[in-house]
Amino acid sequence: MIEVAGLRVVLPPAVVAVDGIELTIASGEFVVILGRSGAGKTTFLRALNRLVEPTAGTVRVGGRAVTGADPATLRGLRRQIGMVFQQFNLVRRASVLDNVLAGRLGWARPLPTLLGRFGAEDRRIAHECLAQVGLADFAARRADTLSGGEQQRVAIARALAQAPSVILADEPTASLDPALTGSIMDLLKTINVRRGLTLIVSQHQLETALTYATRVIGFRRGRVVFDGAPSALTPQVAATIYGEHR
Amino acid sequence: MRRAAIFVALVVLAWTAWDTGADPVRLGRGIPWIADFVRRMLPPDLRVLPAALLGAIKTVEIALLGTAVAAVLALPLGFLSARNVAAPAIFHPARVALNFFRSVDTLVYALVFVAAVGLGPFPGVLAVVAYTTTSLAKLYSEAIEGIDRGPVDAITATGATRLQVLRFGVLPQVLPLFLSYVLYRLETNIRAATVLGFVGAGGIGFYLQTYLRMIDYPAASTVLLVTVAMVMVVDAISSRLRARLV
Repeated sequence: MIEVAGLRVVLPPAVVAVDGIELTIASGEFVVILGRSGAGKTTFLRALNRLVEPTAGTVRVGGRAVTGADPATLRGLRRQIGMVFQQFNLVRRASVLDNVLAGRLGWARPLPTLLGRFGAEDRRIAHECLAQVGLADFAARRADTLSGGEQQRVAIARALAQAPSVILADEPTASLDPALTGSIMDLLKTINVRRGLTLIVSQHQLETALTYATRVIGFRRGRVVFDGAPSALTPQVAATIYGEHR
Repeated sequence: MRRAAIFVALVVLAWTAWDTGADPVRLGRGIPWIADFVRRMLPPDLRVLPAALLGAIKTVEIALLGTAVAAVLALPLGFLSARNVAAPAIFHPARVALNFFRSVDTLVYALVFVAAVGLGPFPGVLAVVAYTTTSLAKLYSEAIEGIDRGPVDAITATGATRLQVLRFGVLPQVLPLFLSYVLYRLETNIRAATVLGFVGAGGIGFYLQTYLRMIDYPAASTVLLVTVAMVMVVDAISSRLRARLV
């Protein structure tokens, strides 16, 4: 369960990106956050694991406070929260397997990892996660030799390797060919259903949100303007989220 | 404004020409002497070839060992003086220290180390280490400041420690650049090390200076030819390696 109360993020110099958000997301939900670019979706997701430091408010994951947590506690919490990015954010020159192994960093013994060594169990999990995203044969390839869709799958495998309870996906299909949107969203949905993980996915495409979400949260100017089932998302509501010009 | 700047520049240049006694006529009168010098150097005295080759090997050793030690010593310094990695309280003094030590040339360091540890190649190695460490640290830190933020975010989000973020998010991005800078420094250090012998810090420069003092120009020309060959060979190897890195 993720509990967000009074969350406010002011980015330098003085941009209010997230403006007082109250939300509770239950385990196993597939939440799509909908909104135009600049509505605060990315900042909201990054505030959940404190890649961006919230200005005010609290975030709790599984009952434990993320906000105000000391560095060691924060690392423990981040380990539970996988993250997938619009630009994949792989280490381009490293192998696919090494990229997935990075997902084990929060679990592995720190000292050997600094020499690039991971235990047998960590390697087994990494291979298993690669297989789960359909890239079992790609382990030895350099990440930047893969197509965009494949790279995003590697990034998803990296998040899965964390054995997380939540995955945050920030516009995971926005830099991909539209034809690939479905396959990446299908993969996220499979993870949500099979592993029972909570997914919070930001999207700017209405149709995708309606197809995959169990709950849609509409953002506008850093505030929640809609929160409900996809079936409740009427054209009028969509107009509120997207503003006058769609 | 622009006209004034050009005027000032011309005045400064004219003054420097006058103050340094720069005189094309004087250069013209000197040309026969240069020709005479070259004539007296020919043919090269190949009997000193073994000595020259030994000196060249020593010079390569000084540059190689000095550059290798500096390449490692510069690593922590490079990270400490990178704006996006180190805290401002560390970064600012580190930058000042780097600029201070970098402003002294290898040859000047050689004078200091010859006085400290005596004649021979060892003070030469120390001089190369002293200058190269700071100049590489500066290049490293600039490479670190130019990295892609994305993988750093991704590794941070896995729950990795700060050191792990550096190892997995930063290092793979900068390592090829680092190696390329080290090779480039090796090339310039070979050139710098050829004159280290002038101040008693070992290598081929010692032979060049000795033969010039003994007015044995044919021997000196052999040493010069060996020097040119050595620099060209190292440059060729190094630039070929560098081309493969990027």
